[in-house]
This record gives sequence, C-alpha cells and structure tokens, in this order.
Amino acid sequence: MQDVFVVGTGIIPFGKYPDKTLADLGWPAVKQAMKECGVNSTQIGAVYCGTALGGMLAGQRVMKMVGPTGMPIINIENACSSSSSALSQGWMAIASGVHDLVVVIGVEKLTKFGGGTLPLEREDWEVNQGMVMPALYAMRAQRYMHDYGLTIEQLADVAVKAHDHGASNVNAQVRKRVTRDEVMKSRMVAEPFTLWHCCPTGDGAAAVVLASPRLARQLGAAAIKVAASEVTSGKFTDGFRDMTWAELTHRGAQHAYEMAGLGAEDIDVAEIHDAFTIAELMYYEAFSFCERGRGHELLASGRTSLGGDIVVNPSGGLLSRGHPVGATGIAQAVEIVRQLRGDVGAHQVEGAKAGLSHATGGGVAGYDHGACSIHIFTR
Amino acid sequence: MPEVKSQQGDVGLLEPRIIDPSLMRINADDHAVLMGGRCGDCGAISFPRTPVCASCLSEGVEACDMPQTGTLYAFSVVHQARKNWVTPYAIGYVDLPNGKRVFAHLKAPHDTLAPGMTVGLTHGVVGHDDEGRPLMTYLFTPAHHEA
Ligand SMILES: [Zn+2]
Repeated sequence: MQDVFVVGTGIIPFGKYPDKTLADLGWPAVKQAMKECGVNSTQIGAVYCGTALGGMLAGQRVMKMVGPTGMPIINIENACSSSSSALSQGWMAIASGVHDLVVVIGVEKLTKFGGGTLPLEREDWEVNQGMVMPALYAMRAQRYMHDYGLTIEQLADVAVKAHDHGASNVNAQVRKRVTRDEVMKSRMVAEPFTLWHCCPTGDGAAAVVLASPRLARQLGAAAIKVAASEVTSGKFTDGFRDMTWAELTHRGAQHAYEMAGLGAEDIDVAEIHDAFTIAELMYYEAFSFCERGRGHELLASGRTSLGGDIVVNPSGGLLSRGHPVGATGIAQAVEIVRQLRGDVGAHQVEGAKAGLSHATGGGVAGYDHGACSIHIFTR
Repeated sequence: MPEVKSQQGDVGLLEPRIIDPSLMRINADDHAVLMGGRCGDCGAISFPRTPVCASCLSEGVEACDMPQTGTLYAFSVVHQARKNWVTPYAIGYVDLPNGKRVFAHLKAPHDTLAPGMTVGLTHGVVGHDDEGRPLMTYLFTPAHHEA
C-alpha cells in the first residue's frame, strides 16, 4: 500500500440551480480541482463519481466537458455516502498502486424533484406506510430527549452554531444567522423539529484530485495526506435498536482512528453529517468527542465552535452549507483539505493539523443507516 | 365504482384500500391482526414476513400473527408530507413482546402520546391514494383508549 494525497480541490457554491444540468453543476468543480494542482486530463488514470439521484453515467456527463475522456469512469450510488464512497474507491485505486492519479466527483441536482422532503424509495415498507426522513431523525431526537433530558432549546443551539459558521462560508447555501428563538418559532416539520432543525435540499458539486506520492511530488502542489478511508454499512435488524446511539458511525470511527493511528483527541476539525440537529450531538458521541448523553454540554462549551479545539462543521455543515445528497461527501473532503492547507477563507480553523469527514445516511427500514463513510486527513 | 376526483367530498364514495395487505388483515369481527413471518425450519420471526429466512436461508417462512399490544419506543407528529397523508399525523415505533419493532401510525390526541406507553392494535383510514380512495392501515392506540 502506498500513501494517497489530495492535491486538488474544487467546489461550487451550493444552492438551487433549477436551470443548470447535472454536467453544468459538475464541471466547474472538476476544472477548479485540476487547475489547483496543474494536472491535465491525460494524466487522469480513473474517475469516480458519486451521485445518489443524478441518473446514469453522471461521471461521463461531467468529464466530457473538461477534456479528453476514455479513462475508466465509475459511477457510485450509496445514498448520502455516494461521493464519500467514491472517494474511498479512488483512495483504494491509488493505495493499491493501480493508478497514480484519479479524480473523484460528487454531484447532485435535487431541484429536479421540485422541492419538499427527499423522494424516498416507495418500495420500502415504512415509506409506504408514511415514513418521511425528518420523522426518522425526529424520533431519534425525541428518544434522546426522553433518555438524557436534552431540551428542545439545547437542540436548537445546534442550528444556531451551524448557521453562525455557514454565514462566513461563501460556498454555503444558507448564509443567514439564526437565533434560538427563530429556530423555535419556525414552521413545524416533524415534531420536535421545526424547519431550522432540518438541512435544506438543493444542488451542488465538488471534486478532488488524488495522487500517489510520486505524482504529488511531480505536480508540486500542496498535498494533504488521506490518513484513513473507510466505508461501512449498517447492521440490519427488525428487532429493537437504541436509536439514541449511532452504532454505525461509532464502528466506522473506531476503524478510521485505528487506520490513521490517531484518536479523537488528535482531531482539530471535523465535517460530520448533521442532516438534522440531533445528528450532530449523536455523532459527537459516536466519534468519542464526548461521552454518551453529553453532546449538548460539548456544544455549549464552545469547543466545537470556531475558535474551539475540536471545531465541528466550520463550513456550516449540512444544515447551512446544504446537502445535495450525493455531493456532500466530497464537499466535506474539500472543506477539510482546505482547512488543513490553511486557505479555506473566513471560517478558517487556525493551525488545524488533522481533520475528518463523515457522510452517512440512507433510510432503509431496519437499518440504523444504509451506509457510512469516514475519512481522516492530515498535514 | 362511481367516477370520482380526489376531492374531499367524493372520497367517501370509495371503499377503503388497505395500504399493504401482506402486513395485516381485518377479521370478520372488524379487529385488525398484524401479520409477520415465522420460519418453518428454525422458528425465526420476521416482520414484515420475508421470502427467505435471514437466519437459516430457508424459504419456508409462513405467515404468523403478531402480538396485539406493545410499548411505544418513540414517535413524531409529521406536519409536512406527501399530499396522500392527512397531516398532521402521528407515527412511531412500537416494540412488541416477541422482540420485533413495528413502524406504525398512532391514533390518539397527539399531546397524550409518550415514549414508554402501552399501545394496542386497531385500524383506520390515514389518507387517500392518488385516485382519491381512502387508505386504510393498522394503527396503534394507547391501551386505555381501547373499548
Ligand atoms: Zn430460519
């Protein structure tokens, strides 16, 4: 196995682009990533493209816009973990020595569905009976509040922090600060969640260029090491499950820490899957940033806010940057790599040396989540 | 069946349709029964009934009746959903004494619901399909609401 480096990053501002095609969302991100490291398209050994709802051959549609094609292009669907799973495939291709340089894309256009909650698979028996994604997380929140005494005001503070961060990220979809009171009084979606507890739907694209040590040296661009790359699936059960504990993420985190030779205490910055407010607190615990049931204390301490020692979602996370499902994983990777390079912009975490990205999701009856992918980056 | 549009006044003309008849039946005495699967080879219970037993890969999984009461694990009241559902509606997970967790609509004044409460099985209309036909399904309701 050889080391793998991220040598180029690209992202478009997330938002709503109903008049753009998927390819038109994707190519500017790929171009930006290629320009950043000076690679030309003949050097690209393979392309991995993650999209959940973008349809067939999304990678081919994007790559034809930016130069010669003909390399293997693999399209990957894994719900919210689509492009982070693609990243893991790209990492494997280089780590194993099969390729020296690959491009990984995450691209999604949700405006084609016309808004509202995400279209779930109607073949799923729970969806067929009336399940919607916000309600699944809402039940986690309710049970967590029941078991640990978390209040809805404390939970609202997750959204306040996310939007504080996102307000200074030029690529965020929602760049508006909100108060606890505004979160509490916004429109009800699925109790206890009002609108501000839920991530927006929208469109987005991001890309990274991965390189072997040899190519990274040759290109001479700033290189950030991929210290861990892993993908896990949930454990199915039709029996009881503790919905206050993110078992899948915890299992993945343990593996990723082991792979990187790092612990929770070494992480300076993290982009985690805060699709709904409760998720952020549950993932603090799953990543061992704090003990179970104490996520809101960690949030209240300010340690996970900009200026803290374990800054979570400086980009604004899914709640503020946005969550075009399949694009999220690479958007997170771009954020962490730029944080470690020190050139992310106004929401810079000063001196960050190690960061992680985490995309998990997929609502299938009987699973905690369908998939989870975690990456750790170091400089 | 008379020709109808999906308007409130017309839906009453149509017979309700059970959302998923593989999950439930309504007995002659109008009581709902929830149906799962029981593996004829190893005895493993599944809900919903699976075509193949995940424990022993037997395809001899037979229908079996599920318990009629359970404990509400968590719930939410949904305010935003597809137009087929009558919003707001309450849904939740009910833990049955045979170890299975069932996703279900809940029938009760929403402010009376609480995790940990005992709930019993019933049935009712929860929405209508795209043609305006009422959608019927199993429901759980707090035990003290039972007649
Ligand atoms: Zn069996």
